[in-house]
Amino acid sequence: MNKNIFWAIILMVSLGACKKGFLEIPAKTALSTPVFFKTESDFQQAINGAYAPLRGLYGGQNGAWAMGEQRSDNTTYKYNPNDRGSIQSEYIKDFTDDANNPVSANKYFTDYSIIARVNQVLEPIDGIDFGAASKNNIKGQAYFLRAFAYFDLVQYFGQVPLHLKPAKTLDETSLPLSSVENVYAQIIADAKQAATLLPNKASQEAGRATSGAAKTLLGNVYMVLKRWADAEAILKEVTGYSLVSDYNNVFNPSQKNNSESVFEIQYKEGNEGLSSNFFYTFLIQPISAAEITAITGIQEVPRTIQGFNLPTPDIIAAYEANDKRKDASIGYLTAGGVSYPYIKKYSHPHAVTNNTNDNWPVYRYAEVLLFLAEAVNEQNRPGDALTYLNMVRANPRTGLTASLASGQTAVRDAIQNERRVELAFENKRWPDLVRTGKADEVMKAFGIRFKANPLNYYFPAGITPSPASYTNIRLLFPIPASEVALNPYF
Amino acid sequence: MRISTSIYLKTKGRPHYLIALFALAISLFISQPLWAQTPAFTVSGKISSTMGETLPGVSVSVKGGQNVTTSDANGSYKITLSSQTATLVFSYVGFKSLEVPVSNRTSINVQLVEDSKALDDVVVVAYGSTTQRSSTGALQTVNAKELQDIPAAQITQKLQGKLAGVQINQASGKPGQGLQVRIRGGASISTGAGPLYVVDGFPIAGDISNINPDEIENITVLKDAASTSLYGSRAAFGVVVVTTKAAKSGQTNISASVYTGTQQVPQKGRPDMMNGTEWAQFKKEYYEDLGQPVPVPLQNPTQYGEGYDWYDAMLRSAPLTNYSISLNTNKENFSSSIVAGYFKQDGVLLNSGYERFSVRLNSLFKVNDQIKVGFNLAPTHTVNNSPSTDGMFFGGGGLINNALLTPPVLNYQNPDGSYPVTVTTAGITAFPTPNWVRSIQDITNKSKDNRILSNGYVEYEPISKLVLKSSINVDFAQSLFHSFQPSTASRAFASTPSPLSAGLFDSNYQYQSWLSENTVNYSKQINDHGFDVLAGFTKQKYRSDYSTISGSNYPDDRIETIAGALIKNNSTSDIQEWSLTSFLARLNYNYKGKYLFAASIRRDGSSRFGSANKWGNFPSVSAGWVLSQESFLRDLKLVSFFKIRGSYGVTGNNNIGNYTQYATVSSGVNSPFGSTTASGVAVTNLGNDVLGWETTKQLDLGIDLSILNNRINFTYDYYSKKTSDLLFSLAVPRESGFSSFTGNVGEIKFWGHEFAINSNNLVGKFKWNTNFNIAFSDNKVLALSSLSDRLYTGNGTARSITQVGQRIGQFWGLIQDGVYKDQADFNSSPKSVNSQVGTIKFRDLNGDGVIKYGDEEGDRTVIGNPFPKFVFGLTNSFTYKNFDFTVVASGSYGNDIARMMDEGTTNLDGVFNVLKEVKDRWRSPQNPGAGKYGKTTASTGDDRAQFHTRFVQDGSYLTIKNITLGYSLPVEKLKVLKSVRFYASIQQAFVFTNYDGINPEIGTDLNGNAPNSLSQGLDFSAYPVPRTFTFGLNVNFK
Repeated sequence: MNKNIFWAIILMVSLGACKKGFLEIPAKTALSTPVFFKTESDFQQAINGAYAPLRGLYGGQNGAWAMGEQRSDNTTYKYNPNDRGSIQSEYIKDFTDDANNPVSANKYFTDYSIIARVNQVLEPIDGIDFGAASKNNIKGQAYFLRAFAYFDLVQYFGQVPLHLKPAKTLDETSLPLSSVENVYAQIIADAKQAATLLPNKASQEAGRATSGAAKTLLGNVYMVLKRWADAEAILKEVTGYSLVSDYNNVFNPSQKNNSESVFEIQYKEGNEGLSSNFFYTFLIQPISAAEITAITGIQEVPRTIQGFNLPTPDIIAAYEANDKRKDASIGYLTAGGVSYPYIKKYSHPHAVTNNTNDNWPVYRYAEVLLFLAEAVNEQNRPGDALTYLNMVRANPRTGLTASLASGQTAVRDAIQNERRVELAFENKRWPDLVRTGKADEVMKAFGIRFKANPLNYYFPAGITPSPASYTNIRLLFPIPASEVALNPYF
Repeated sequence: MRISTSIYLKTKGRPHYLIALFALAISLFISQPLWAQTPAFTVSGKISSTMGETLPGVSVSVKGGQNVTTSDANGSYKITLSSQTATLVFSYVGFKSLEVPVSNRTSINVQLVEDSKALDDVVVVAYGSTTQRSSTGALQTVNAKELQDIPAAQITQKLQGKLAGVQINQASGKPGQGLQVRIRGGASISTGAGPLYVVDGFPIAGDISNINPDEIENITVLKDAASTSLYGSRAAFGVVVVTTKAAKSGQTNISASVYTGTQQVPQKGRPDMMNGTEWAQFKKEYYEDLGQPVPVPLQNPTQYGEGYDWYDAMLRSAPLTNYSISLNTNKENFSSSIVAGYFKQDGVLLNSGYERFSVRLNSLFKVNDQIKVGFNLAPTHTVNNSPSTDGMFFGGGGLINNALLTPPVLNYQNPDGSYPVTVTTAGITAFPTPNWVRSIQDITNKSKDNRILSNGYVEYEPISKLVLKSSINVDFAQSLFHSFQPSTASRAFASTPSPLSAGLFDSNYQYQSWLSENTVNYSKQINDHGFDVLAGFTKQKYRSDYSTISGSNYPDDRIETIAGALIKNNSTSDIQEWSLTSFLARLNYNYKGKYLFAASIRRDGSSRFGSANKWGNFPSVSAGWVLSQESFLRDLKLVSFFKIRGSYGVTGNNNIGNYTQYATVSSGVNSPFGSTTASGVAVTNLGNDVLGWETTKQLDLGIDLSILNNRINFTYDYYSKKTSDLLFSLAVPRESGFSSFTGNVGEIKFWGHEFAINSNNLVGKFKWNTNFNIAFSDNKVLALSSLSDRLYTGNGTARSITQVGQRIGQFWGLIQDGVYKDQADFNSSPKSVNSQVGTIKFRDLNGDGVIKYGDEEGDRTVIGNPFPKFVFGLTNSFTYKNFDFTVVASGSYGNDIARMMDEGTTNLDGVFNVLKEVKDRWRSPQNPGAGKYGKTTASTGDDRAQFHTRFVQDGSYLTIKNITLGYSLPVEKLKVLKSVRFYASIQQAFVFTNYDGINPEIGTDLNGNAPNSLSQGLDFSAYPVPRTFTFGLNVNFK
């Protein structure tokens, strides 16, 4: 009798075994590439995902400020002898960084993360059929982001590998270095594509790349390459923008993507993980909860790590006496009972500590005007340059009178001084020093001042700066050592 | 071997068990049974062993009668019989019992033959069983009975020191924490390297840490490919076969055991931190050296005296208790075994503990002579709380580390006995300092786990020795984790306890794993040829569901659910699945029991493998030659058993994650535009459709030798494993947008020698048995990826390197060359960017005149090896009359430990308490200290944040794991009791080591979790392993 039962069980189990696809189990919590990139919505989501790394590129301990601003004479760090745990961006400041520095690595990795995501979009998109307007917009954003990321890379690292297709196999993960010229050629090609494909600001969703942003980027590229006429031509095409009447409001999160904004990194307060925290990153530390609350007005916890990106006495002195932008850019707070300056541009009301709504301004119309001033001045038209310069400088929002500089050299200096204060703490100072050839001279002089009186630069008594600091003013950053170890072409 | 006291007596099937249990105390002291003495016929004689030793204490009885006597000190006995045709039965532990018909003799001298039972005991192996005599593989069995005195929640802890070539490390003393088990140096570059656990034939997911050890009958460790290859793609790191207690035929009985004890952390090994006065002096000097005024609280260091020992304040003497009852019934067609257990261990750190309720029911129905049906069902419920004690002060928990680092001048307790929330004190603390002694009591990290492990099977034997077996096995488990940090607690320095930082993390994890197996087994003896054939088909499927909820900002600590959180984080969930289909076959053949041969193969298809690489074959062959059966050895008295054997085969490792073959498109990569959030996705990893298993080819050559009538048993094995197609999450250039590519690349060789000796040194009245094992192992990387011939691994600031031509996971650091003593020394020495006069000096290994920290920059070298040259275990057992005494020891030699917790305990910033020896640091050219520590006033980062030789110490140790003294009551004449034994034991009795840390078996990552194979030997501070004193009682009822 029992034989039948036994065989029935065997049969049952064996039938179960023969179920088709028993050994094929795709992931249920994430999709995989074979089923993705099939619809317009897929591409829309993929381009949205390509913007995401920008937040980490600009924000946090390893954000773009460390190499773009704090590397220069505008800002420095507060040496905290009690916590030497975040020393790496000090190395960047002191010119003692090397190829193992996580700050420069963050820039390198994050830019390539954007590039890879964009390449994932660009490769298959023409093979999928959907509306031309939407497709052009997505492609335009992709080209813009790729140009943007490569421009960041080439400015800070020089020669880099040029990936234009997504890596799908182990062999495709590395490429040889491309020359600076080739990288720029690609950036220009991509930015031109973007400028053609993208809608203008009026018809684009706020916060996304626009034709105006692409043209400004292209103009910036020409400025670095000293192709002044090309710069002038393209920058003149950047239209539909105007300066915000109150300089304070340029950075106000309640007026994100305002009339002056050409391109800004988008953040959003709340618990979606999209918020910024520049105020806290730049906050001088150690500081008590009450001392932070005095600024933010909300419940705070004490912060004890270190202060970064603190305005130096040098930048404070760079503002003219009546410049209203000084108070809009630099505030003072008390930490441990001592008064220190802090960057006010990114200090706005928010509900929860370390969770702010501030965007990061990448391109503003004020900079477009200053670029134009510089481009025409370098073509030896200082008079025209002064017109553009004074559109920014003599604007009622600054409280300053028009610049009376005359002659190409004087106007050149006036433009650079104007850039320094107008665009202070927006990661412009270091690239400006590099492209104008002033970096070595300015930073060596800064180093001498700094070592002569470290107390002025927020060092505690008894602590001396490293003897190795400011001895070698390097204009480029080394490609991360971990990359060099893995790329067989390097 | 110790005297086995588990001699079962019958209760005639009546439910007297519980009554009997309660009556235990009374029964012990009453009932001196009487029996009739009818002198009729007396027999006497002498009893000796085959070696000629006289044997005292041998039990002599009359078969079927009641008379019992024992031999005296000279081995002489005298017994009275009622019949001259009776049969005498001589029995003695360790010897085969002997029956001798009296046949009218009055003097009978006997020789007892030592029991070589071990050789013929049934050993459970993959899909069947064998004996040590006929096995051709490398395997070792431990009977759980010999482990019963060790007070531990887990069988693996009890196995420490018992198994040759199996390294079992107790990295943390946390109650309920699993131990790291490594068979034959098992290691992998990027996957786990723990063995596969097979419980009653069921390869389970995870380990056996929550199985009540009292449910286990025996454990067999399968080490070579011949023994393991039938488990195919999961067997590369060896297999641990667990057999639970089944009813013993013909017996119905009940037994109970209980032990209770107390645990304490010994003084030895505690970090040698500064006391109150020393620390205040250190701090005072810190300010003096900076040229800053000394804060008032530090101006008079001696006022603090000894100060407060924060570490000690977190410790307590903690009780531990185990109860276990087993019932065994056996009817004609039905037998069952029930083991019920309760184990409770309070931790030696406040607020930690582990509790387990478990039941196992194993039953077997004999439907008829041909069909058997069995069910095993084992539910377990465990509750575990561990308040974030392990890991570094900057890691995820680290309360132990934090306590060590807190200025010892501060008091953790108010005068009224309550605990303040913080001890932040102006002039003393550098940052807000929570009260860790309070935090450890207030933080909850509780997991409640339920697991039901079950098997059901049908066995059908249509003709003799042809067995068809079909089984369904199910492992179902759920783990609910609740973590709550109230507003009064914190895990990190500078993080002030507040409602803002109060937080919740809840998770729910559950999995089901089911396995269906169908096998056919046929064995046949044709003249001198013995055959045993197995074929089978199995399918296994696993699914887990994991979800989490978390929130923070709790205005009211009394509400511990998400409802109370002002900030509620997005909840998460994840599903993981895998499936496995396998075919297996084995042939065993022997000729006259002398020439042994076996071959097996498993074919595995797995959902984890790439679409182009779904199926793998795992064959093995082995052979043995029992030389002692040959005529040229048979007559050699000295050698009782001698076998040489060899095996070769292939096994795999499929721990590659479930979906690694796919290029994943992750969702939730969102971006805001203005005030709206746009949902986004990103391709987050590279796919690999040829992804496969890691292949290990293993050769094993061994001998089994027993001499002097099996008095001494010796086993030796040499093995050589070559692991290729390493599953390797290979770092790729980030320029690709990806950080890693999981593929099969590279090759590592492992080899070693294992020796095990079991010797019955003395077998007379005083018995002494020694069991010693030692295993030498080593490894070498033969190849790595095409991108790089070296692989760096980081854990905190620790670095390790795995490079072609060398061992895996070697410490990779700088060499300290004292400190820059003065300006002249500074000027003439190579420097780093941080160097100043008075800072630590490193050796310029590449001679380029500067010190660079990078892995590739030439100043780093191999500064330590975390892998032992050999590990060993030694068990000595003594019995005299009713006393038994056992000492178990285990140890390792030649491995290094990097004491990474020094990153805090030697921190020169003056913000933490530090080791006493930091006193001798550089302060000025005139006062340069001992050359070990630099100055406190600058660039202290080089001292602690660059991994160097000062962190590395010799990690060799010898630990007396267990000492037990037992006494068995003479209850043979009692009606109710069969045996009663009391014992007292000390677990983790003594640790002999030069290592300065708390535990030489350490090995954690910086969060206090189990590290991977390439980050072994790092001490990031972990729960101390206590010394445990227990008292126990084992009772068997008739």
